[in-house]
Amino acid sequence: MHVNQKNWLWNGVFIAIILGLCASVYLAGKRIDYSWNWDRVVPFIINSDPLEIVAEVDGTLEFNEQGQPQIYPYDGGDPQLIDPTLALSLSEGDMVYAGDVLASIEQTRIGPLLEGLLVTIEISIISLLFAVVIGLMVGLMRVSVNPALRNLAITYIEVIRGTPLLVQIFIVYFFLGTVLELERFTAGVVALSVFTAAYVAEIIRAGIQSIPSGQMEAARSLGMSYPKAMIYVILPQAFKRTLPPMAGQFINLIKDSSLVSVIAITDLTKAGREVISGNFAPFEVWFTVALLYLVLTSALSWAIQRLERRLAASD
Amino acid sequence: MTKHDSNQPAAEAPIIIATDVDKIYPNGCHALKAVSTTVARGEVVVILGPSGSGKSTFLRTLNQLEVINGGSILIDGVDMYSKGTNINQLREQVGMVFQNFNLFPHKTALENVMLAPLKVSGREPKEVEEHARDLMYKVGMDQRMQNYPSHLSGGQQQRVAIARALAMKPKIMLFDEPTSALDPEMVGEVLDVMKSLAAEGMTMVVVTHEMGFAREVADRVLFMEEGALLVEDNPDDFFDHPSHPRLKQFLSKIF
Ligand SMILES: Nc1ncnc2c1ncn2[C@@H]1O[C@H](COP(=O)(O)OP(=O)(O)OP(=O)(O)O)[C@@H](O)[C@H]1O
Ligand SMILES: [Mg+2]
Repeated sequence: MHVNQKNWLWNGVFIAIILGLCASVYLAGKRIDYSWNWDRVVPFIINSDPLEIVAEVDGTLEFNEQGQPQIYPYDGGDPQLIDPTLALSLSEGDMVYAGDVLASIEQTRIGPLLEGLLVTIEISIISLLFAVVIGLMVGLMRVSVNPALRNLAITYIEVIRGTPLLVQIFIVYFFLGTVLELERFTAGVVALSVFTAAYVAEIIRAGIQSIPSGQMEAARSLGMSYPKAMIYVILPQAFKRTLPPMAGQFINLIKDSSLVSVIAITDLTKAGREVISGNFAPFEVWFTVALLYLVLTSALSWAIQRLERRLAASD
Repeated sequence: MTKHDSNQPAAEAPIIIATDVDKIYPNGCHALKAVSTTVARGEVVVILGPSGSGKSTFLRTLNQLEVINGGSILIDGVDMYSKGTNINQLREQVGMVFQNFNLFPHKTALENVMLAPLKVSGREPKEVEEHARDLMYKVGMDQRMQNYPSHLSGGQQQRVAIARALAMKPKIMLFDEPTSALDPEMVGEVLDVMKSLAAEGMTMVVVTHEMGFAREVADRVLFMEEGALLVEDNPDDFFDHPSHPRLKQFLSKIF
């Protein structure tokens, strides 16, 4: 009862602080004399402007023998055929000029920001798959007793973690990309997965080493080879323990993917910049971009939390 | 009844032959000093000795969880360290039970027992499951087969661990203080399973502090101290007429 009341109080404090922050952002926006216009952002997410069919030539609208509408140009060139299913806003014999709207189709298309979001999702998922595969290999090399494998893994991890991702992206794009003739999207995937894999490898190493040595001994004493013991005994247990740090790393990957916009991949961040350069609503657009990233990362962490709960069955 | 009957063919070679086994850990600790002994088929050998005397180390050399630095070990006539020896095949014949059970926590009790036969021996899944269920019945765990290890008591876990080792149909069973991590009231149920194993003629090497078990079940008792094997004797002489002064000292501290 007492505790409950206190919680109410502190939840109230939390909401008050959040509202206060929102208010101060709002007031700050007011002070700089910026006219907020969230309507302008909407078409960049979902574009519901009707698609307009326009005349390509000057001429007259007529129907041919099959009853299909056509525009016969004055200069006697080939007629412009028009889809007969369209509801035309003109009638037979009307004069039209190039650029006139003949019909409009109701439709909704995804706007550039959503397109950018899709690119961000695509590059993140592909990089994630590669990062897990590479990270697992490097992590296993890292715990190997073979010094060559172990030192290779350590070198890889140290080099990748010791240099900024932005620099790595440039190196992959300008150096590797030129040598191997990589497309920019491929270069982005390579840079992101190689970078993330170094962290994944360390997470997997820590996960493997957190499993008591008795597990490996029990597996080996039953006649399992080292790889079989890893696959059936150690890794399944390590996997469960690595889920929380892995989730954090995947969320980092999604955020890091915004850096590939520097090599002109039109991801969510680049799309945001492009929209702003043609539209002048920088504040609304950046807030929207941030929100879209947040939706993505929260969805991921929710999914991983569900997986964790399912795997907790044997606890 | 559990004593090893001595009218076996005299010509049969021992199933374990350890000769001058030396073990030096990477940190320089000289854990085994020229330990030599043999174990006959169907024999139950108990190893006693103070803490740190090398009992576990010796046991673990018998399935190569520890690699030896000198000497040789033959299991059923196969030299463990000769070039052609497949250590995984050899380990299938040598089951091991650990002090801390070491059950696989992500598998149910039954899955623990079935895992290695399925993944290693390539036996028919149906046959493996039947065998596993039989073993669970034998160790008295047939009612708790679907439980995860975390939902089992220590004694229950250790009995599953014994069933898991037996599932590979080993010729030898090694036990490293199988009851030391158990609450006193659970020691009996595990010792009972071990006694019935011994009665069936399983070759067993047991490190334990259970003197009652040693007296009752062992065919031979070994006494180790500071990495050396000092005494090998039948249990009656070992406990009632100790010859070695160090053994006398050790026994006087216990009883
Ligand atoms: N992995 C290891 N690395 C280095 N030294 C070790 C290792 N394991 C054991 N030792 C040392 O080897 C010696 C023998 O250890 P061992 O565990 O075989 O003794 P034990 O007789 O089983 O003792 P306890 O009754 O306490 O289990 C001890 O001095 C111990 O400190
Ligand atoms: Mg020990």
